[in-house]
Amino acid sequence: MTTAKIEKLDRLIEATATARDAKTGSLWRQSIRRMRHSPMALTGAIIVGLFVLVAVVGPWVAPYDPTAQTWGREVFLNQNIFPGPRPENWFGLDHLGRDMFSRMIVGARQTLLVGVVATFIGFIAGAFIGGVAAAAGTFGGRWGERVEAVIMRAVDVALAIPMLLLALSVAALLGPSLRTVMIAVGVAQIPIFARLLRGSMLAQAHSDYVLAAIAIGVPKGRIVVSHILPNSLGPVIVQATLVLATAIIEAAALSYLGLGNPDPGSAEWGTMLADAQRFLSGAPQLAIYPAVGIIVTALGFTLLGEAMRESLDPRLRRQE
Amino acid sequence: MALGLFTACGSDGDAGGDADTAEDFDFSCPERTDGEPAADTAANESQPFVFGTPGDPTSLDPILASDGETFRVNRQVFDTLLDADCTDTVPGLAESYEQNEEGTEWTFHLREGVTFHDGEVLDGAAVCKNFERWANFKGGYQSPNFTYYYSSVFGGFAENDPAMGIETESIYKGCTADGLDATISLSKYTSSFPGAFTLESLSIISPASIDAVADAAIPTADSPLPEYTQTVGTLAGTGPYKLENWDHSSQEVVLTRNDDYFGEPAKVKTVIFKTISDETARRQALEAGDIHGYDLAAPADAQALIEAGYQVPVRGVFNLLYLAYTQSHSPLDDHAVREALSYAIDRERIVNSVLPAGGMVATQFIPPSLEGYSEDVATYDYDAEKAKQMLADAGAEDLTITFCYPTDVTRPYMPAPKDIFDMISSDLQNAGVTVEAKPITWVDYIPTTRSGECPLYLLGWTGDFADPYNFLGTWFATESTEWGFNNPEVFDSIAAANTEPDEAKRVELWKAANEAVMEELPGLPISSSPPSIAFAPNVYPPDVSPLTREDFSQVYFTTAS
Repeated sequence: MTTAKIEKLDRLIEATATARDAKTGSLWRQSIRRMRHSPMALTGAIIVGLFVLVAVVGPWVAPYDPTAQTWGREVFLNQNIFPGPRPENWFGLDHLGRDMFSRMIVGARQTLLVGVVATFIGFIAGAFIGGVAAAAGTFGGRWGERVEAVIMRAVDVALAIPMLLLALSVAALLGPSLRTVMIAVGVAQIPIFARLLRGSMLAQAHSDYVLAAIAIGVPKGRIVVSHILPNSLGPVIVQATLVLATAIIEAAALSYLGLGNPDPGSAEWGTMLADAQRFLSGAPQLAIYPAVGIIVTALGFTLLGEAMRESLDPRLRRQE
Repeated sequence: MALGLFTACGSDGDAGGDADTAEDFDFSCPERTDGEPAADTAANESQPFVFGTPGDPTSLDPILASDGETFRVNRQVFDTLLDADCTDTVPGLAESYEQNEEGTEWTFHLREGVTFHDGEVLDGAAVCKNFERWANFKGGYQSPNFTYYYSSVFGGFAENDPAMGIETESIYKGCTADGLDATISLSKYTSSFPGAFTLESLSIISPASIDAVADAAIPTADSPLPEYTQTVGTLAGTGPYKLENWDHSSQEVVLTRNDDYFGEPAKVKTVIFKTISDETARRQALEAGDIHGYDLAAPADAQALIEAGYQVPVRGVFNLLYLAYTQSHSPLDDHAVREALSYAIDRERIVNSVLPAGGMVATQFIPPSLEGYSEDVATYDYDAEKAKQMLADAGAEDLTITFCYPTDVTRPYMPAPKDIFDMISSDLQNAGVTVEAKPITWVDYIPTTRSGECPLYLLGWTGDFADPYNFLGTWFATESTEWGFNNPEVFDSIAAANTEPDEAKRVELWKAANEAVMEELPGLPISSSPPSIAFAPNVYPPDVSPLTREDFSQVYFTTAS
């Protein structure tokens, strides 16, 4: 499992490092051109675009207050009576008589927020750790190599722990809240970003322009910050898109396990799924809406991320 | 001397149909409509009857227990002087009893030829030995953690340990035995008698067992229960089943039939109580045939189970769910605020939507089947506008309040705590109150709410016997941290009713007490509802009890499964 993860990361690094040697046009311009013709990328982009749109404007376009138990008297949990889809409630009512459609729309924002913030936390912290390790390993001499070894072994250990388990431990430490979910999911992504950036930077460290910079006496710190780092961020950004999908799923899982927003009224897809579980036999639609929401969104980000990864990979490049 | 009369379980209503209102439901015991199909003798001999319970028992010694899961097991193994049928008091180990005019001397005429599982014979001396043992508990045994029921019925012990905080004097004066007669003397009457003699906690155990545990070290108030309460073999009762094994790791208690039982012997040879704490897992275990019945079915499952051919007999209504207003938290000490909150809550919706069919909105802190249920209590019918207005008048428009509810638990009076919490908190928010949710795990819930930490919290009570004091006295006998109010008028009205020996006068005094409590409004009674119990199609179920006091010796298989 872990080896597979590491191998995948290494290939991504290799891919971008090799891609840089391409002679014509910039790497990114080429990639974007390739992606425009990829149905996978288009599908992913459309889904992500729609999702982001809903997440941003959702609270203003939701027909009803997602937390108001407006139709509470029409729902009978004890008899499995949940008024289904109808003109005023397109997705029907949940177990407390709240409008499911409004809850889905408003829930999208929380889902996006958690995904983006968690990925950002993982990105920044992971990039920092990976960057320090790579810089130390390349220019730090024998002590630097030791520092790098210690950091990277720690990262490997963290990578070996199943992500959800890591997130759960963090969440259990911090107590249930939306912030906890963001931090927990973010922390779980740190080792991925750390390993990726370090690998990518090491690949760049031996390229000609770095040699040239060393030769003309540019200070080592500046080489790392202004030359190696910017050129190594490509694969990390691609990975961030992929991680967003995982982050969304994991955030939903943590909310499902009751570690999310402690306000039980809040609209959040994972919490909605957990609530619906009890009524699965009587009202499966309550579980289907948030489940489909989570799946489609995660799928959108995955498609987009994979398409970006492939477009950067010269071995998968089609003849143009 | 007045002769105590036993009456059969009254059953005068129609259990079927729409049972949402007080008028058309028989609260105590709906009549059984199923016949008694023939038993499959081979199956009953060879096949264990497995019953899924929501929780583990805590103690095999009944006097050291106060929870329903423990009593479910104890009830099959031990007997009490008097028994309960429905909520009525009927003969138990005593065939009959007499009381004096003042209600301070109770003479029990015991059945002849009753033997304990260890061969000891039941006589007056054995009964007195039990009472003497209880009255002379020392040290930590006097803590409510150990002997909650004994001290709440008798007030205290022969020598109250000052460290245990019991200040009232014991009303138990002594016990004299004469052949098969045992006479219990009390220093004053309370309305808990004779009902208290049906309490599972006051089960009679073998004199040899008492000798065997007499040397057990005296615990402190917080120490765990003594070792002998956790393994079978030490204690012997008289009941239809004997304790065979208690496997703590697989959470199973195994009982085997007592062939020398004085009553109708049990038909099924082996009964196993298996703990399955998750409500859905219990249903799935029943559907898979792993268990043959389970308690506390989710209301929504009940209908589906009936349609699939399972049996879900209707229990009587004998519990109460309430929302407490802990008055040590300002501004809940303001009567107007408590009143406003009460008007804000739509209890009818909770009853109609969440509780099992047969539930009803409660107007006072006792269920309607009890004497002393008053039609004239102050009621606080749902009126959101009025609530808002009253809060504004009381200067509490921007009220923010912490509201506790228990997680991972279903109780007989409360099938879905979080749903009920969600509904109430939405109602309160509609009245302009900001609610801060505080979910607490069940293990910590009772201690937390008792300490007065929660301004608002949900809790309830299932009655032990048909007496209002078992409800009202549990909560409002004296000042307590769990309610945080001191209103001598309420305390005195309950004490007056509790100590009145004349029945007609007592009923009036209980009505007055209920009215005084609802005037004070220490909390909002929400509902009384029948907890659901389910059985496999090939099982003849026991008579279901509003006290959740089922006698599993009545169970048998009609066909092998």
